[in-house]
Amino acid sequence: MKSEILYPGAFPMVRVDLAAGESIKAESGAMVACSPTIDIESKMEGGFLGALSRKFLTGEKFFFQTLRASRGPGEALLAPTVPGEIVILELDGVNEYMVQKDGFLAGADGIVIESKMQGLSRGLLGGEGFFILKISGKGTLVLNSFGAIHKIELKPDQEYIVDNSHLVAWSSTTSYNIEKATSGWVASFTSGEGFVCRFRGPGLVYIQSRNPGSFGAWIRQFIPVSE
Amino acid sequence: MDTAVHPGLRVADAENAGQLRSRFATILNVPQRVRLRLFVCGLCWPTFRASERGHSAFDESIVDHTMTQFFPNALCFGDTFPAAGAPCLVQVEEHGLTVTFASDTADGQPESVPFSALTVSAGGLGHDQLVVKWTGPKGDRTLYLKNPDVIRAFRQAAPDHVSHSFAQAAEQVRQVRHRGRLVWGLVGGVLLATVLGLWFQSDLLVEIAVSRIPVEWEQKLGESAYRDFLSHQEVMKEGPAVAALGEMTQRMTAQILDNPYKFEVTVVKSDVVNAFALPGGYVVVFTGLMKKAESGEEVAGVLSHELNHVLQRHGLERIVKSLGLMTVAAIVFGNQQGLVGMMKQFGVELFTLKFGREQETEADLTGLQLLQRAKINPSGMITFFERLSEKDQGRMEWLSTHPMSAARAERLQTELAALPKKLPEPFTFDWKQVQASLGS
Repeated sequence: MKSEILYPGAFPMVRVDLAAGESIKAESGAMVACSPTIDIESKMEGGFLGALSRKFLTGEKFFFQTLRASRGPGEALLAPTVPGEIVILELDGVNEYMVQKDGFLAGADGIVIESKMQGLSRGLLGGEGFFILKISGKGTLVLNSFGAIHKIELKPDQEYIVDNSHLVAWSSTTSYNIEKATSGWVASFTSGEGFVCRFRGPGLVYIQSRNPGSFGAWIRQFIPVSE
Repeated sequence: MDTAVHPGLRVADAENAGQLRSRFATILNVPQRVRLRLFVCGLCWPTFRASERGHSAFDESIVDHTMTQFFPNALCFGDTFPAAGAPCLVQVEEHGLTVTFASDTADGQPESVPFSALTVSAGGLGHDQLVVKWTGPKGDRTLYLKNPDVIRAFRQAAPDHVSHSFAQAAEQVRQVRHRGRLVWGLVGGVLLATVLGLWFQSDLLVEIAVSRIPVEWEQKLGESAYRDFLSHQEVMKEGPAVAALGEMTQRMTAQILDNPYKFEVTVVKSDVVNAFALPGGYVVVFTGLMKKAESGEEVAGVLSHELNHVLQRHGLERIVKSLGLMTVAAIVFGNQQGLVGMMKQFGVELFTLKFGREQETEADLTGLQLLQRAKINPSGMITFFERLSEKDQGRMEWLSTHPMSAARAERLQTELAALPKKLPEPFTFDWKQVQASLGS
């Protein structure tokens, strides 16, 4: 399986080349175009209960689509819903990533996706909700973001502070705590940051350059209120 | 064959494969006996399934015995490695750990570390990984282990000083989990208490919410509905009936202490036997009701009842209740502006609001007291209620929202008996003339 990002930037697309018999799972609705040799199947990843819990707990889609090159090699074009960059990661079976619920776009067949509950403070204040996706296994993983994706590399015990809801994915070897942005409660909120996540290495943290929640709040003021 | 065996780099021929397999089998079999005991420590439970996969991966690597296959079971971090960590194969030997890297991520030489150089702790996002640190000839190294088989073998082989930190790490994990459970339990308890509290005390909460809504807003709310209603009705602007109602209102409102409302009472020409009050002090009395009444005191009784709905803010209570607890919470905690908008959204019509039985009783009793203070004969209220309940109820809409029961009249009688006797002062108008002015 080979993948390539087309039109990198705000409106990218991923081209995935599949050899005969290969398959890839993608977020439902992600397929833009594909070769006639590719069959689209809908699949409840992790079984019915797994899919159900993913739907209700993480807000991810109930079904994933599986694109299978069952009648010979072919290619598929995938794109996310929101404008923003795409990043391709290779999982080697040891690496594990935590991915916020909207971050998953596609993954090779060997990728394992689970819903994982976060701790109380992380769930309540972290901006990702109580449930996130834990992605492990072996193969290509395609993530999407809102805005540009920036990679932060952390050495062991190195710390970095990320505003919550800017997170896309982070390795499971990192850990993070939620804390106030400034030492005082009032200043924390008047500074516009509220809560931040203090990450501690080692590992990688992928962040997005735009905050979907803030963007939603900004755009809401232009929507006329229906009487 | 030296101790630094691994399938990826050193195994080139088939005959070594058999030896390797037995060697791995030894490593992997040891834990089977102690699996239960080790799982108690809690370090490895989330990766239970991964261990099954890891197991078969080892076997395959040996059978394949090719140079390209490399099955890492840990991530190693250090200055010379990429930030994502270098995948590596960790093997537990008698004297320590052997760490082998894929040839393309490091210099390809296996690194042997004695147990004495190691420090052990728990780490990772869920505190479920074993973090092994040491300072080697190539600088600081940090190893993240999550494969239970390796952790188990490590724990078995580790000498005393390391197993002590093992125990500490396990204790650390236990504490984190315990604290997590404690916090969740607390939050669950508080939530449950809040829900139960709201369930049983919702009226109290509604009252608090209502008390936080300024009277001006209530007036705005009522006024818009009031003007809207009157624009479709034939309003009586002057005449004996308007004057009579004005006198009643004036006498009663004079007796209300700290009255925040400016009551506006309008007579509407309609045969409907009804009267109603909107939040903010807007009262409408239909001529149909005035025709049915046999004295001014009877109309005053109804008026007093309606005025008290306003004074007790019953309308707001109903609105807040029908908008739901979320609104209540929003109002209590500060966001009152949203109420008017929300009402529009929810399409709450002021006229469809029905008062509850408790509110009716409250308005009855406070109405009775108000009549008493204004020196208007309170028995008019009771006789009017009674008479309306006996007669045909075809067009008496007031009754449909004010169900008349014997119990209600009886309670009013009892209440009236308990009030101090006051000599009623008659109205200045003659009721028969007022009625005559209304036409037939």
